[in-house]
Amino acid sequence: MNQAEVSKLVSQLKTKVNPRLRKFRSPKGPEGRLDRLRKTVTALVKHERLELNYPRADEARMYAERLISDAIRYGDCHKTTMEMADYWLVEKQCVHKLFKVLVPRYQNSTSSYTRLLSAPKPYPGTGDLRAVLELKGNPYPSLLPDTHTNRNLIHNVLLDEAKKVYRSKKYAEIASKIDAAEGANGVKEQKPDEGVPEAVEKEVEASDKKDSVDEVK
Amino acid sequence: MTYPPKLRRLEDKGRECKIISTLDTMNTLGNITKPGNHFFKKSDYLLRRFLNNVTEESKRQNDLFITEYKRQKEAVGRIEKIDISYEKGSENITLVMNKNLSTPYDCAKHLGDSVRKKAVVALLNDESLWHMHKPLPGPCKLKFLHYHLPNPASVNKTFWRSCSFLLGAAISNAFKDDIQIVLHSFPSPNVKSGSFVYDVQLSLDNWTPSTSELKVLSIEMIKFCQQEHPIYCLDVDKDLALDIFKNNPHKTRQIPDIAANHGDKVTIFKAGLHVDISRGPMIPNTNHVGRITVANVIKLDTDIPEGPIYRFQGVSLPKAITLNHFAYGLLEDRAKILNTGRIPGSQGVDNEDNSFVARMTS
Repeated sequence: MNQAEVSKLVSQLKTKVNPRLRKFRSPKGPEGRLDRLRKTVTALVKHERLELNYPRADEARMYAERLISDAIRYGDCHKTTMEMADYWLVEKQCVHKLFKVLVPRYQNSTSSYTRLLSAPKPYPGTGDLRAVLELKGNPYPSLLPDTHTNRNLIHNVLLDEAKKVYRSKKYAEIASKIDAAEGANGVKEQKPDEGVPEAVEKEVEASDKKDSVDEVK
Repeated sequence: MTYPPKLRRLEDKGRECKIISTLDTMNTLGNITKPGNHFFKKSDYLLRRFLNNVTEESKRQNDLFITEYKRQKEAVGRIEKIDISYEKGSENITLVMNKNLSTPYDCAKHLGDSVRKKAVVALLNDESLWHMHKPLPGPCKLKFLHYHLPNPASVNKTFWRSCSFLLGAAISNAFKDDIQIVLHSFPSPNVKSGSFVYDVQLSLDNWTPSTSELKVLSIEMIKFCQQEHPIYCLDVDKDLALDIFKNNPHKTRQIPDIAANHGDKVTIFKAGLHVDISRGPMIPNTNHVGRITVANVIKLDTDIPEGPIYRFQGVSLPKAITLNHFAYGLLEDRAKILNTGRIPGSQGVDNEDNSFVARMTS
């Protein structure tokens, strides 16, 4: 039981880590591979959204995630982290961006920092898989369709109606509870007109929260 | 999961011999073709399974539909050209199509794959909804509607109606031979009610479906939709409609009413081998349907003399719209509650959804 917890030694990434690294054959050997990935990671930090071949995007994503999570974990006064940032970010102004822009942005993030989407293959083309790799919270317009602000879409209509039914059921439940309580108290004088609706509203809101949180997602 | 005893399963049926005869009759409308065609190889298994489930009745209905479809196509005679205008971004495109032959789907094919795949229902001259596989009767301004419009109410309704129709198709194949099923109708689609509905007469007394039975019904429907049947549409005369539905007492009663209100015509739809009356329009293909659940089956309190009527309820979403499983679970729970849509009775057989023929204003 004295074993150290691995998640405390290494940052736990929120993305899938491939069990085997891709080779990306290069005349320079493994170093050449890293050079290519450094270029991609730097470009990602600089431009925040890239379109590139899928294998490269997937591989670079892991390094970018690790770099950002280390930067958040250790901050800019940690020697090793700074060395890593210096290595992975070829353009040095990106190091400033990493610690001053990206770290505050992802400080309280509960999910991964990057998003990987598969992009359409051009036709006719080589048939390579294409992907879009982007930092979350970038200033560009979203690539995914917005499905939750438009309440007229079919699933939102259904969810809104389900919510209404749920609320009315809860109201009825609480009302019956209050009736029962009043019945038990008998002649005991109360101010039902003021106190009761407020309490009802609160309780329903609390039970509703679960639903609305999900809808936002 | 033990298999529900009332429902069919693949092993139950030894009707292999019937397949060969159906294959020849079915090649007209594209969805099933003779062996040797690439389509047959691709979904060989599905086809065999599908044809195993086919009853004599649906084959007869389907043959009548195909004959009429061919007849109407040949009756067009000399081909006339019509101009269909379509706005693509800012530029105006004019397509020269064939009168009474070309469908909005054909136009969509000219406009590219993305338009074709996205289109759910066509809008002619900004006013009338038009089924994608229904021939255009004259020059018009064409628009295609899809699920992500700012206000997709009519598309949602179209989708919901198609789901009811497909539920009917799934039900008519799902039960074993000793259980008699007669499809009754479905009320006007209402997405806000939380479920789509099909009312069916079953020769079962006080049946409450188990979870596994509902699951199997859902799977049947999913499988049916996965076969990617185009949904065809046809305006037929009252007599032919009566002939097609002669073994269905409920529909036979509904048809004269529908025809009386709409110039002796009845609109019928076909997906796979299933033929049904509906006002339309519907989605162009069953592959538009994404998640489907048959949520509940509830016995209705009606005065229809033939037998007990059950209300099949389900919930579904188009493939273009994805939803997380928790939120979808909420929708499934909601769909279990009895839908308050119009309950069929022996009086007033005129069903709202069945009493209208899609017709372009001339």
